[in-house]
Amino acid sequence: MSELRENELKTLIALRDAGGRDSVDKIVETTGLAHAGVMRAAMSLGEKDLVKSHETKRTKINLNNEGKDYAKNGLPERRLIKALKKLGGEAPIDTVTSEASLDKDLSPIALGWCATKGWAKVERKTGRIRLLSEPPEEPDEKLLSALDREGSLILEELEKEPRETFLLLKRRKIIEIDEDTLRELELTEKGWRTAKRGLEVVEEISQLTPELIVTGLWRETNIRKYNIRAPVARVWPGKKHPYLMFLDEVKEKLVAFGFKEMTGPIVELSFFNCDNLYMPQDHPAREIHDMYFIKAPTHGDLTSYKQILNNVKETHENGWKTGSRGWGYKFSTREAGRLVLRSQTTPVSVRTLLSKELEIPGKYFSIARCYRPDVVDKTHLTEFNQLEGIVVGEGLTLHELLGILEKFALEIAEADEIRFNPGYFPFTEPSVELHAYKEGYGWMEFGGSGIFRPEVTLPLGINVPVLAWGLGVERLFMMRAGIDDIRYLFTQDLDWLRQRGMI
Amino acid sequence: MPTIEIDFEDLECLLGVDLPRDSEKLNGILSYVKGEVKLLEHNELHIELQDTNRPDLWCTEGVARALKGFLNIEKGLKNYRVAGSSGVEVHVDPKLKEIRPYIACSVVKGVQVSDTLIREIMRLQDKLDETYGRHRKRTSIGLYEFDLITPPLRYSVAEPREVRFTPLEFEEELTLEEILDKHPKGIEYGHIVRPYSVWPILMDSKHDVLSFPPIINSNDLGRLTENTKNVLIEVTGTAHDTVLNALTIITLSLADRGGSMYSAKIHYPYGGIKETRTPRLKTETLKITTKEIKTVLGMDLKPQEIRDLLERARFGVPNIHETEVTVEVPRYRVDVMHPVDVIEDIAIAYDLNRVPPRWPQLSTIGGTSPEGRLRNLIREVMVGLGFQEVLTFTMSNSDTLFAKMNIENEGVVEVANPKILSMTCLRNWLLPSLMELLSKNTHVGYPQRIFEVGYCVTSDEDQENKTEDVEKLASITIHSNASFTEMKSLLDAVLLNLGIQYELEEIEHKSFVDGRVGEIAINNRKAGIIGEVHPKVLENWKLENPAAAFEISVDRLREATHPQIS
Repeated sequence: MSELRENELKTLIALRDAGGRDSVDKIVETTGLAHAGVMRAAMSLGEKDLVKSHETKRTKINLNNEGKDYAKNGLPERRLIKALKKLGGEAPIDTVTSEASLDKDLSPIALGWCATKGWAKVERKTGRIRLLSEPPEEPDEKLLSALDREGSLILEELEKEPRETFLLLKRRKIIEIDEDTLRELELTEKGWRTAKRGLEVVEEISQLTPELIVTGLWRETNIRKYNIRAPVARVWPGKKHPYLMFLDEVKEKLVAFGFKEMTGPIVELSFFNCDNLYMPQDHPAREIHDMYFIKAPTHGDLTSYKQILNNVKETHENGWKTGSRGWGYKFSTREAGRLVLRSQTTPVSVRTLLSKELEIPGKYFSIARCYRPDVVDKTHLTEFNQLEGIVVGEGLTLHELLGILEKFALEIAEADEIRFNPGYFPFTEPSVELHAYKEGYGWMEFGGSGIFRPEVTLPLGINVPVLAWGLGVERLFMMRAGIDDIRYLFTQDLDWLRQRGMI
Repeated sequence: MPTIEIDFEDLECLLGVDLPRDSEKLNGILSYVKGEVKLLEHNELHIELQDTNRPDLWCTEGVARALKGFLNIEKGLKNYRVAGSSGVEVHVDPKLKEIRPYIACSVVKGVQVSDTLIREIMRLQDKLDETYGRHRKRTSIGLYEFDLITPPLRYSVAEPREVRFTPLEFEEELTLEEILDKHPKGIEYGHIVRPYSVWPILMDSKHDVLSFPPIINSNDLGRLTENTKNVLIEVTGTAHDTVLNALTIITLSLADRGGSMYSAKIHYPYGGIKETRTPRLKTETLKITTKEIKTVLGMDLKPQEIRDLLERARFGVPNIHETEVTVEVPRYRVDVMHPVDVIEDIAIAYDLNRVPPRWPQLSTIGGTSPEGRLRNLIREVMVGLGFQEVLTFTMSNSDTLFAKMNIENEGVVEVANPKILSMTCLRNWLLPSLMELLSKNTHVGYPQRIFEVGYCVTSDEDQENKTEDVEKLASITIHSNASFTEMKSLLDAVLLNLGIQYELEEIEHKSFVDGRVGEIAINNRKAGIIGEVHPKVLENWKLENPAAAFEISVDRLREATHPQIS
């Protein structure tokens, strides 16, 4: 019995008490349930074969405006003979109609029906009317009052006499007819058996409360069944940014390979961004369209680097002790102090080589925000992240240069096949480009590496080989995430961030 | 990374072999010269060259010359010899010492001039002028119809209105000054000579003007046509070495087209200049030890192998034994400054894909930066509180940072050459970046809760780079019931979880509602701010819901946390 819900139980009980069959309207009255509640109960009880539904079409009748007027004031012919009686039973027609306050529309109706009903005799020749009989309230008048009183009646529920009288009123066109549906419910045999077994209505609740639990009253309630498949409100978990999560993953892998993270400032001295990297001061890449220059102050302070600055100056001008010819131009120490937004991560490597904490052998990496004047479009950003690093130690050669790239290609880029091409960076020689093949993507350039030129390392006081390497993390992430627009890395689309799965 | 546009068939012709028309296969070949196919359509081939220091490769002849070696078609030093003296002497005016001191000339006779050739030579000239010549300031090249010129030449100066001639592409004579004002090249490069009271001019003995270096040639003498047989090449500039190099490269290109090279003599009035007979073709000798080679490449190469590889890279190897190689470096290899430049070519000729990769046998301990640990903890806590991490740019503009936030411009680190209107400076606080993000998401469901841990940059006189990078944590909650209380609960959660005590002080801040904003202090030092966002700010950003936010310095948090964490 606990399978039956509250409204189902109440409906069953009402039907049982009503003898097995009752109209929905009556059940609504008895149970106090809403009409919709009874209908729902009827449907589910019907599915359980406990109740049958019946629908009967019926005729509803009510008075139209003319009818309502007759009901209020009496039938026109009744009014006429009342007036006639008052006038002595015989009078000119006009006098009587006037007395009865019948207007010119109602008079002919009154006269006609008086004649038809045999209540009076009309003499056309004399224009006089004579009362014949004044019967008491007739069936049509009774029906009229009943309709007036009840508002509407069901034709099929009327007794024989009023039913026949209805036709009369219908002929007089004072009735409106509507279709009505009678809904009834009836207990089936199974329903009777269930009902006879005794039903108890248990209260249903939708929410357990601390009170119900503590008092133990939960035992006396039914917890309303839920549609567990119904859709619910969307919630968004707090999440890390997918690109940053990817970079975290890459960092983890690098740490596992023995790399230490290094950091450096966003605003750099040209000395670290270019000069130390053996880029001549008149190199095209140092022009205003390749680097962001700081507006004010324009120059920084190089006093901590006097010795190295001098080494670099001589190296650029004539090669110094590096064994190189040098660039052969006049190096400006003032230009070396120019402030720029770092355009590559390599200055961070240079600072690391200069730092007291440098370990030899050592493996370092940095993921740094870099800046280059560029219009922002599908394949370019003006502000972006770069992953670069160095490996410092005795005996590092071309073999290790390739070894590092190979490891990264297989472990970080998860490439299926790799290829090395000769590359070029102003600060390394030899230099190698890494091309990787991934199923579904084809061949792509993923990064590069090179051995720092002696013109770079010797002025810094480094006497062992230094391998520099860089990986295109942006491209990697875009491939992983299936996006082809680089602007998505810094997207402002909250929907995209929310909906982006974590895997 | 210069890109050259050449004739595919022309390259095949110079190489003497057919090339694959497949981009990938072609890239395999071009990788020897660090080149990549950018376009291959019918007969047009565009190659992007990675090496900015190899001007010899910026023409079909140079690419062909290099590839011939790697493809084993023609190895070793290319025998470039000057056939004799052209008889041309150039006299240099002393006044040029402060303006444009150096000049070098050569004559190439018997060139098979064709449309292709003219196009090639002009492209090379352009590329050399622009890149190697640093937009013509360092070097600029002029080409002339040798038969129309009467040597000796005078490389002299003239006053802007003193001399007239018909510049290339024009029909009437103009003075030097007029050329600067009216001729497209004058407009583009005029700034190089304008600072001076007199300007460079190149004339022959008949006082015919050859050109106005570095601006423009004469239309009468400085134009090559299909009828040209003999070419005079001249290079002027501000660095002797680069002038000589530019001349070498372009002279050799014409020689590769069947011409014979003849030298010229330059007479300088200022002392100390050694190489006065040009073009300079003499090779440079470099001695490299086999030990050096092994140190860089890590490979045990036999002397014969090394010689073979060097010759494939078009070097000459007059001498080699167990411990040392003598290398003859061709003059057009302006990039060779140190033995490593030659050693790299050995590796390229060997083929990098034949070299076994080796993971470095170094024992090192890895780790993330100390700053990273606290940063990640903070991110975990914020995510745990249900906030979405966002990533925004550090570059911003004063409207976003100040005007829209209802405060005065406090001074930021600006860039002198911004490329984008909305990115003209570095942000000094983080919240505006988040507000901007919210303003782009008014159609997305609320509540919205976002955070970022990111860098801001402020001026700092005491630093060597005059700035300080400040890491901040900023967070905003926005929805119909957003409140100060909500944000304060969150701030409590974050800081107390990091074991940090803080105090709030009532302050005024126009970005926030008066009476609902506080300064966060940790150990009596200002650390951040928390408050309900001012409706004016919400309006500025076209947001329709109330918002509350806080921004706090991660560096302050680091100082305050237990040493174990930071």
